[in-house]
Amino acid sequence: MGDYIVEMSHISKSFPGVKALDDVSFRLEAGEVMALLGENGAGKSTLMKVLSGVYTKDEGEIKLFGRTVEDLNPKRAQELGVSIIHQELNLCRHLTVAENIFLGREKVGAGRALKEKEMNREAADILKRLNIEIDPETLVGNLAVSKQQMVEIAKALSTNAKVLIMDEPTSALTASEIDDLFKIIRMLKSQGCGIIYISHRLEELQHIVDKVTIMRDGKYITSMNFKDTTLSEIISNMVGREIKEKFPHVLCNVGKKIFEVRNLNAGHMVRNVNFELREGEIVGIAGLMGAGRTETTRAIFGVDPKESGEILVDGREVTIRRPMDAIRAGIMLAPEDRRKDGLCVKLSVRNNISLPNLDLICNRFGVIDRRKENALTDKAVKDLAIRLASADVNAGTLSGGNQQKVVVAKWLARNSRVVIFDEPTRGIDVAAKVEIYNLMNQLKQQGIGVLFVSSEMPEIMGISDRILVMCDGKITGEFAAKGATQDLILECATKFESKVKQQEAV
Amino acid sequence: MEKREKQNPWKRLMAIRGMGQVITVAIGLLLLCIVFSMLSSSFYSERNVGNLLRQIAPILIIGIGQAYVLITGNIDLSIGSVVGMSCMISATLMTNGVPTPAALLITLVVCLFVGVLNGVLVAKWKVPPFIATLGTMTVARGVAQIVNNNYNTNAIGDKAQWFRDLFYYGNFLGLYNTIWIALVLFLVFNFLLGKTRTGRHIYAVGSNKEAAKLSGVNTDATTIIVYVVSSLCACVVGLITCAIAGMGTMDSGNMYEMYAVAAAAIGGISTFGGEGLLVGTVVGASIWGVLQNGLQFVGAPVAIRNIVIGIIVIVSVLLDVIIRSNRPRKKLKTESAAVAGDKVH
Repeated sequence: MGDYIVEMSHISKSFPGVKALDDVSFRLEAGEVMALLGENGAGKSTLMKVLSGVYTKDEGEIKLFGRTVEDLNPKRAQELGVSIIHQELNLCRHLTVAENIFLGREKVGAGRALKEKEMNREAADILKRLNIEIDPETLVGNLAVSKQQMVEIAKALSTNAKVLIMDEPTSALTASEIDDLFKIIRMLKSQGCGIIYISHRLEELQHIVDKVTIMRDGKYITSMNFKDTTLSEIISNMVGREIKEKFPHVLCNVGKKIFEVRNLNAGHMVRNVNFELREGEIVGIAGLMGAGRTETTRAIFGVDPKESGEILVDGREVTIRRPMDAIRAGIMLAPEDRRKDGLCVKLSVRNNISLPNLDLICNRFGVIDRRKENALTDKAVKDLAIRLASADVNAGTLSGGNQQKVVVAKWLARNSRVVIFDEPTRGIDVAAKVEIYNLMNQLKQQGIGVLFVSSEMPEIMGISDRILVMCDGKITGEFAAKGATQDLILECATKFESKVKQQEAV
Repeated sequence: MEKREKQNPWKRLMAIRGMGQVITVAIGLLLLCIVFSMLSSSFYSERNVGNLLRQIAPILIIGIGQAYVLITGNIDLSIGSVVGMSCMISATLMTNGVPTPAALLITLVVCLFVGVLNGVLVAKWKVPPFIATLGTMTVARGVAQIVNNNYNTNAIGDKAQWFRDLFYYGNFLGLYNTIWIALVLFLVFNFLLGKTRTGRHIYAVGSNKEAAKLSGVNTDATTIIVYVVSSLCACVVGLITCAIAGMGTMDSGNMYEMYAVAAAAIGGISTFGGEGLLVGTVVGASIWGVLQNGLQFVGAPVAIRNIVIGIIVIVSVLLDVIIRSNRPRKKLKTESAAVAGDKVH
């Protein structure tokens, strides 16, 4: 392996009242993929922001390619070859791929006119080098999220980045897209780029990672060769304690049918969906991104209109036209994207939790009873062990795991029959995941039906009692958890109707 | 719980989100009053204070309406035209022999219709609020002009004197009625916004419409409600202008939608929605009124007044932006506090 291209030693960074980084050292070699791991709030992002020049360090030394660098700022970092791909995509949806790649560095010719052709050609070259099949003249907004991510990578590499920082790059990708991403990472590695890879999805590390660096509470904990360590060692280093069961599974007696969906149709993403849910079981819905799982949950909950179908709770048919109807029928939905659909980030945790429960805490004139509201929210915060200074802080200030708990807490404050979780553990750390699993088990034990959508195969297989697989808006498979394997699930998840055949028939 | 009760009142006040900014602006208001009273000895005369409050009242009322709309993340540009329409319709009816109570009722119904229309356009038909209310603004101004064939009305006459007294000239317990009207509207709408389910829904829609919808909030109805509140407030102000002049003037309420935005924004209502306290609008409207009145007292010409007020609007919101941009640090603090909590567990 090559020389160190990044050497950060004894970096400290304080914000008023808190030491975000405390004497952290970090080194990266050329041609190496380094996983930077830690729980939410461990200081990974802060460290990377120091490296990419967003924050200035208080103490310590940064060496890039062997040379000490002072006064790092984002522009300078980019010039030196450090590029960062943030968890949230930072692309202009209304511009083309090429326009995005050259944003801020547009090539201009005589009379300051843009050299569109040249930029398109160069963008095409960059994309080709990465084996990405995207027309540089497509609008970014028309691309799938995964493709947008590729554009983001192409953009980073177009600046001749030698150090590429990826923050949770796979959280929005499907299995096959992740494979594509890994191919690109391997290629970059062979070209001598150093890659810093931040992810909570530990399972995927084995495919690409050479080394791991672990942080906790703003401190450097350890660095190891990936092949010399085990996942459980990594996890215990991250959380500072052993987590015994990654997927705590509780066995319950399966009781009577509590929820049934019959022939549900809603748009082309929900076609003829049938399933049932029984007391004491967790049913997982697996599938690829875009299989229609989220759409199914939204149609059940009355967010999107249904074309046809019946929904039965405890054997009685319920009419659901709006979310309020579903809530009254005892159906709850903790949606997929918590910042987009789950939380009002400008409102307090308290107001967020009470929002769907206002009917319980208002008198008949619609006046909110503060005492009832406080009692309700304090209980929810306590039940879910949400860690916060006060329930009056803005929901947006919490860490990912705690935000997710607030989303769940909103719904558990009232009596429910069916709780639907859509990707409940996306982007949250291991310890918080286990807490969410425990919560789902608790609901199951209380006889509440739990339906849960997830793209993480090990999670689906570890937590569910029964697994449904969706593909192309239809349910294409059903397994008891014991009988399921990743291969079987994946096979069902890719059962696309052959479009070629249809054409032949015509 | 017990602990919260025991905290001192100041801390409890500051714990209300958005109160910090209101207090900052209130201090600014206080400074303005001190400056003007030093510049002009008659600024604090009993007569001027009464007049000043009476000047502030209409701005406060439309400010309340606009604040409601802004908190849901929308905007209402039709306010000024609805003021003009309310003024013209009521005066035209009264001068044409319609009994005053009936005239007021008809005016109210027409104005509320504009509110419902705005709400439906924005919520149901997804017309961007800026465009939707720009359209209704133009239409409503046209209605104001057409009701009396493009003329201002004649005097509304002696029979309507009680109406003029009720809305402007009369007083009760030493305060002009206009001030009472503003006060009552403020108390009612402040209660609605802060203490009721509808109010909570308004904040939720402004903060995250999708999340609100998924929490069972009827977001369309909420949007319609805020536009109706806004046009109700504009209607009342239109009646006040009618009462002041004793006649209907076609261009009354011109630019009021912008005054309303200014009053709300100075008082800390975020134009992005989801944030702000109605009491801030009281302070915002007061700053507006004090500047108008005070600059007039020190003899500043209208042009200078406009320039000063425009600058004040920008500076007050800019201050807020600067304060906000320092917040990420605070955010980090709470997160690390949560992490520290982690460790204890």
